Amino acid sequence: MDRETKRLIEEFRRNEAGPLENNVIDELVGGELDREEFIRRAGMFGMGAGAIGVFLKLVGESDLAHAAPQLEGQAGGTIRLGIPVFGASLEPYLLNEGGSLAFAGIPGEYLTFTTPDGRVVPWLASSFRPNADATVWTFQIRRGVKFHNGKTLTAQDVVASMKQYVGQRNSNAGLSPFFDAAGVSARGQYTVVFRLKSAIGVFPYLLSQTTYQAIIQPAAIAAKPGSWVASGMIGTGPFRLRRYTDKRSADLVRHTGYWGGRPPMDGVRVTFFQGSAPLVLALRAGQIDLAMQLSPQEGAPFKNNPKYNYYLLPTSSHRQVSMRTDVAPFRDARVRRAVALVINRPQQIQRVMLGAGQIGNDNPFWRGFASTDRSIKQRKQNLELARALLRAAGAENLRFTLTTWNFLDHTDHAASIQAFARQAGIEVGLEVMDVSKYYDSEPAGADYATTTPWLNRPATLTEYGARGVPNIYLTRCYMSTGDWNASHYKNPEFDQVSRTYLAASEIAAQRRATKRMAGLLLRDTPVITDYFIRYVTAGSSKVKNYVPEGISHMRLAKVRLG
Amino acid sequence: MTRFLLKRLGLALVTLFLLSVIVFGISTILPGNVGRAVLGPFATQESVDALNEQLGTDRSVFAQYVDWAGGLLQGDLGTSLTKQVPTSDLLVPALENSFKLALVAFLICVPLSILGGVVAGLRYGRLTDKTVTITGISLAAMPEFVTGIVLILVFGIWLGWLPVTAQAEEGASAATQVKYLLLPALTLTLVLFGYIARVTRAGVIEALDSDYTRTAYLKGLPSSVVVRKHVLRNALPPTIAVVAVQVGYLVGGLVAVEVLFNYQGIGLLVYEAARQKDLPLLTAGVLVIGVVYLVVTLIADILYAALNPRIRLGAAE
Repeated sequence: MDRETKRLIEEFRRNEAGPLENNVIDELVGGELDREEFIRRAGMFGMGAGAIGVFLKLVGESDLAHAAPQLEGQAGGTIRLGIPVFGASLEPYLLNEGGSLAFAGIPGEYLTFTTPDGRVVPWLASSFRPNADATVWTFQIRRGVKFHNGKTLTAQDVVASMKQYVGQRNSNAGLSPFFDAAGVSARGQYTVVFRLKSAIGVFPYLLSQTTYQAIIQPAAIAAKPGSWVASGMIGTGPFRLRRYTDKRSADLVRHTGYWGGRPPMDGVRVTFFQGSAPLVLALRAGQIDLAMQLSPQEGAPFKNNPKYNYYLLPTSSHRQVSMRTDVAPFRDARVRRAVALVINRPQQIQRVMLGAGQIGNDNPFWRGFASTDRSIKQRKQNLELARALLRAAGAENLRFTLTTWNFLDHTDHAASIQAFARQAGIEVGLEVMDVSKYYDSEPAGADYATTTPWLNRPATLTEYGARGVPNIYLTRCYMSTGDWNASHYKNPEFDQVSRTYLAASEIAAQRRATKRMAGLLLRDTPVITDYFIRYVTAGSSKVKNYVPEGISHMRLAKVRLG
Repeated sequence: MTRFLLKRLGLALVTLFLLSVIVFGISTILPGNVGRAVLGPFATQESVDALNEQLGTDRSVFAQYVDWAGGLLQGDLGTSLTKQVPTSDLLVPALENSFKLALVAFLICVPLSILGGVVAGLRYGRLTDKTVTITGISLAAMPEFVTGIVLILVFGIWLGWLPVTAQAEEGASAATQVKYLLLPALTLTLVLFGYIARVTRAGVIEALDSDYTRTAYLKGLPSSVVVRKHVLRNALPPTIAVVAVQVGYLVGGLVAVEVLFNYQGIGLLVYEAARQKDLPLLTAGVLVIGVVYLVVTLIADILYAALNPRIRLGAAE
């Protein structure tokens, strides 16, 4: 390295980088981070591409590739999308379904973006930076961004949007545990400061599209919660809404002032589908170009078919088989471990997901998360050990009912667990409910937390969507205070390590924490996570440059039709 | 006739009132609540409670009914709880869609089924009769979902002749809309053909076997005249009654077909409202379907009376 480069690096570390950035650089130089993870972490702490490239070169890695992706297809025309119909509102703070979030995510955009490979990158924010202990995060807002109504994006819009998301009593955004309305403020035209309730080392992830409610709206609209749809869903996205007919269809046209460059397509036509069968049939008949999401079974006819593109994306989306740690027959951890040990996970993925999955290890630490320690030993099927554990626990004749609801792979998944369990002499009954019964109080009107089947049956099978970091899974499903803690798992040691993880900014500290947590979860096994989902979808082979996202958003800014 | 109509109208109003009470009453045993349906399974209970309080769905069903019925008396069908728009904004386009599909299906299905039934009746016991009867029963025994998928695969995907979704683009011409509606209408035709044709066939066989038909033949009238003036005139009234009931079904009962062909009709709208416990929308939807049933039945009664003098005389007495 020449003297000039050395001087620039030292200058950067002294003048521009904060303690967290310097720590990431130290981790790279010390060999704790590989190239991909350094890019991911450095991006999260707001380091520019130039600086990242210099540090990569410093350790002998190749620079960041800046070449524009090779674009196929032609500009112009209208792309036709198939999106499942949604029952609830399109107002951002109320979004909760794949269909509605996919549709709202076309005109709407977020401060940051979690890439399919798990990096968080600046989006409507041009950069972000934490203070020394990650309790205050400062976001620079990108200049020159225009809303669909011509207004320029400023810090005031971001503040008003965020205040709505943490201020609405019935908000689904889930951001209020991290900061409140008083904790977000504008400093000048293009700077927003978040003062968090406690340190969060991965805060930019929480403002990306994985918190799909956090769409940035114009301040005047955000100040009136519930007015976004009526105002024409005005956002900053590559396409603006022209027409929307509830449950039927919508037309969007190119946002000519889009900050990310002129979108190639003239417009987007969305058809909302009542079920997956008509959506699949419409794709096969050529009435739509691209489907939002398919199950592996629905996607099978499109695989290896030259007329279609078949997309398969690894994600952190997973299923949790929760076993109530506070009631029989699962009070004894040996019984829970025995149930986990009967599952042949590679076979499970083949049987249930037709291969579209990644093996899980009974924890929420997806291997794509930077914080996941990959040295954690993988749990494998061991029927002999399972039987021994049951004998030791005095539960040789274990019988229980696994409760779930009729959704995607759940029924097959539960039946497959039932079949594996039988090999170890465990009798599993299945209870498959309708969605409204599974997620309602029982009986209707009773106290929700203590009666709803999904949180109170002895064993349940529930789906969890993709996230860029495992924070939500930990705080809501595994920690003692979690409101989605279906296993009723209470372990003070686990809670303590979780808190350490949540506050940690250094990757090494995060990995140490996840390794300890994974160990505790393998020992206690409150939850079985036997696989993570690969997101499956398909489109016509005419569709070029499309990359799906695990959270169901459909990014169309670069898409063309061949 | 006026007295007959007034009596029917009075009965219709009582029926609609009872219908609305039953819908609200039954809703108390439906699982799910509106707040949860809007906010989703993973919303906090605090959020769900807040929304239920805001929407007024935390009140008793009786209080909600009184509120809704009060609005109805002033011509207000209520506001959808999940969509927060007047229910009429959702019902009118859905009903319009349902009428379009019902009309296309009716125009294909009814003449074809009656023709099939008449031919089978006239050829009683012969190959034609057996073919019509067995085909009709076989098609009627198949769930409409299966019939629809077969038609989609053949005409939509393999041959590529017809669109597989029923919803034409906004502003499409009438011809285009009909083209989009052909596959679901054909599905319904195949499902209903056997039933209507069998009723018609039975009527024709009975009329052919009657004294007046025999007399007409003995008088030397040509076969075509006997069939037109005596057989059909007497065979059709039961068919009209059956068709009237099917029209109500065609407008309000096509959930499976609407799902399969991705068509937003009133059947699907009401089904979704029930799933989400959106009571104002559910009740208004059921009432609208009820009105359609009552109107169609009334028209059938009038036609029936026009074709059958005994009914007219009975009503006059």
